[in-house]
Amino acid sequence: MGRHVVGRVGELPPGDRKVVEVEGRSIGLFNVNGRFHALKNSCPHQAAPLCLGSVKGMTMPGKPGEYVWDREGEILRCPWHGWEFDILTGRSVFNPHKTRVRSYEVTVEPPAEFGDEERVETYPVSVEDGLVVVHL
Amino acid sequence: MTQTDPLMETAGAVRTGIIDCDVHPSPRSMDEIRGYMPMPWKDRYQGGGRGFYSNPVHGSRLDAVPPGGGPAGSDPGFLREQLTEAYGTAHAILLPRAFCNMHPDPDYGTAIAAAFNDWLAETWLGEYNHDGLFKGSITVAHQDPQAAAREIDRWADHPHFVQVMTDSGARAPFGQRQYYPIYEACERNGLPLAIHPGTDGMGVNVQPSPGYPTRYIEWHTCLSLSFQAHLVSFVTEGVFERFPGFRVVLVEGGVSWLPALTWRMDAEWKALRSEVPWLTRPPSEYVKDHVRLTTQPLERPDSDKHLLNVFEAMDAGSVLMFASDYPHWDFDSPTHAFPKMPDELRERIFSENARSFYGLG
Ligand code: FES
Repeated sequence: MGRHVVGRVGELPPGDRKVVEVEGRSIGLFNVNGRFHALKNSCPHQAAPLCLGSVKGMTMPGKPGEYVWDREGEILRCPWHGWEFDILTGRSVFNPHKTRVRSYEVTVEPPAEFGDEERVETYPVSVEDGLVVVHL
Repeated sequence: MTQTDPLMETAGAVRTGIIDCDVHPSPRSMDEIRGYMPMPWKDRYQGGGRGFYSNPVHGSRLDAVPPGGGPAGSDPGFLREQLTEAYGTAHAILLPRAFCNMHPDPDYGTAIAAAFNDWLAETWLGEYNHDGLFKGSITVAHQDPQAAAREIDRWADHPHFVQVMTDSGARAPFGQRQYYPIYEACERNGLPLAIHPGTDGMGVNVQPSPGYPTRYIEWHTCLSLSFQAHLVSFVTEGVFERFPGFRVVLVEGGVSWLPALTWRMDAEWKALRSEVPWLTRPPSEYVKDHVRLTTQPLERPDSDKHLLNVFEAMDAGSVLMFASDYPHWDFDSPTHAFPKMPDELRERIFSENARSFYGLG
């Protein structure tokens, strides 16, 4: 499994998503409440670009006549036929055991190797006997 | 794309190009339609769709909204990209959604139909149709069959209108005689009649179920019941005996019910023939000769074998014609909506049946 740097944390605030190409594969990257998740951008049903779908909550299974809305921001609906997938696991809501979209592991790492991060150079500073000392 | 999809390769094998029998173009705004209306309709028309029984999730593919803005299906360049370039479509048969069939005022319904026809002729079948990709449907308001017949005659000579269309929502089953002026006009002009879901149980129309369904899921599932009721009516009323050149295409009404329905009709006819003495042949034979069905939304049982058995029972190689329903939410992808089929069957469903039904070159 290779490492692929796909963006900066700051580019993708909670609730946002972006579609990236990794090794020729289209992948959707989602920030759900501060945690990142990645799903294959192809629906297991008819191969629609799944990650362009809407991100919402869902009505939880309930008794007839009862509607309980929950999981806000964690459910991706296919832009074509509207099948619901759990962004956290890639599993479909109607049959999590059989119908699922491939998910990938995402980590957040220090930006050292991601080009020109918008920062200025910093220098070690110490305080010695009431004086601030910068070490160049 | 780095992966090769075996289904995609099979679709590519449709030698003469796919004919997509249900594509929905949309005006960029309702002002476009209003522009083709005389007063007082111009003043009155608000546009809009059904009003209720709307899809609670999304009515059109979310990725079909043109990048330049406007409703899904309103940009011919983008439609070409998503449909014809992606799948190798040779012709797209256009069915605009005018929703004119639900209005109690027949003059208003007729005015909406006429404006949609003018609009379609000038834009999608005219200005946007440099390559002849688009073929159109003449919208009629069946509330006033005489006016509908005049509307058919008005457009019949147009090179790109290939059929007449009306919604399955109706006051009465379509075999009944008040509709005959429409069928006469179709026959005299050599145009088939397409029936498309849309205004069932709305305005002046009944839904063939005991009353109003509660939710979209119920309404949408039961649309195929309208089609079955209309088909039985066409056959038993003797429409195909009275108008031997009249042909019907059932668009978006479901597919798999056909064998069971024709089996039952044939069985009933053997016992009850005396009630309909004008039927000189088993009902299923009229269906074979006069009726075609489009595939979308194609039922997909867990086992492909079951669907292929149904295809065999209905003689899908003769009666089925591919449709995607682009850009609506239940779009069927030509590369993924079907099980693997023999090449010849695939060629007929995706191309040849529609080519000969519509007389396309
Ligand atoms: S392609 Fe995603 S739900 Fe059908």
